[in-house]
Amino acid sequence: MDNRSKDAARKQKFDRLVAVFHADMYRYAVWLCRDKAIAEDVVQESLLRAWKSLDALRDEAAAKHWLLTIVRRENARYFERRRLETVDIDGLTAAQSALLAEAPNEELNDLREAIYELEDDYREPLVLQVMLGYSTGEIAELMGLKQGAVLTRLHRARLKLKDIVAQELQE
Amino acid sequence: MSTTNEMMNCEEYRHAVAAEPTFDGGAEHLADCADCCAFRDQMRALNVRIAKALELDVPPLNPLDLPSIDATDNVVTLAPRPSRAKPGWFALAASVMLAAVLGVRMFTADVDDASLGAAVLAHVDHDPSALVVSSTPVSNTMLERAVPPSVAHMGHDAGLITYAKSCEINGKTVPHLVIQGEKGPVTILLMPDESVATAQTLDGENVHGVILPVGNGSIAIIGARDESLGRIEQSVLSSVAWST
Repeated sequence: MDNRSKDAARKQKFDRLVAVFHADMYRYAVWLCRDKAIAEDVVQESLLRAWKSLDALRDEAAAKHWLLTIVRRENARYFERRRLETVDIDGLTAAQSALLAEAPNEELNDLREAIYELEDDYREPLVLQVMLGYSTGEIAELMGLKQGAVLTRLHRARLKLKDIVAQELQE
Repeated sequence: MSTTNEMMNCEEYRHAVAAEPTFDGGAEHLADCADCCAFRDQMRALNVRIAKALELDVPPLNPLDLPSIDATDNVVTLAPRPSRAKPGWFALAASVMLAAVLGVRMFTADVDDASLGAAVLAHVDHDPSALVVSSTPVSNTMLERAVPPSVAHMGHDAGLITYAKSCEINGKTVPHLVIQGEKGPVTILLMPDESVATAQTLDGENVHGVILPVGNGSIAIIGARDESLGRIEQSVLSSVAWST
């Protein structure tokens, strides 16, 4: 295969990955950083990194995990660079408020807000499991945890959300 | 998640179903516990609502300005070589070393990439204790002894490292690590002084692997024939940086 054909094949492979996984990368990034504008930056940077190291992806079956790992690291890099601090829900930027305003209906607003306010350690495995269909074993691998720790975090995350929803209903 | 039914009490069942609402174990417990049935239904309903609350509209991707990739580029970017002021004796020592290396090269000019692959494959099972399935990580001290900071920096996210020793490949001392893969132990050889032009596939008896070019050196990754090495390659590449 000549260089031009190799480049074309490489670009084709990359475009295929972007088409299939861009939405998952974006959604994961949004719920990691809780800011849609930052999430778009993180995804752009992640895709550039993926492009540069595409040859390291030898098994396309592992592409989703590979790309989400890049997003996770890129998000961490972003916050290391900016040294952003956690914000409380009363001091949100427009981009952060936009995320909460996007709840599909009024009924889900409180739950979305509660997910938003969960600690990162609880929110991330929940997002991976519920939104991205990861098994607890896969979450453990991505987050560098033991499976038991993932199960405990998921359990606690749901109990917290259950309590918050119950409180909201009482009010 | 285990679906074992025996001896499950309310606390265990609720822990399991809150962690995974699709958990379908504990049937015997559920048969006698209406409260846990209600809890399970509550968790499943909550999970549906969580999924809806997490839904997001995805904006179109802005056009990417993709840089051209040189075919000879390495698959990872390594940390820049730290610049250090070197004493006068260093130049003399370096000259002696260079002469020695050139001398050795004259006799080993036929040691090409293929023979490196053969040396790597031959080394994989030199120490039976390296190929034990284990969940016990090596200590940081052993890891640092095998991968001294002067050779490379190894992050802890490469995987569960269960073996770390210094070994000899092509007459050079290299860190030999073992990471536990899905199908068993996966051998990692960090070879900062063995350059290869492109990634090489390795095929051995019951094993397969690859030697990846990394900076001026290379990293060999070898696992069982049915081991999927893609993820391991990626995590190793992103957690190793040569020091020199």
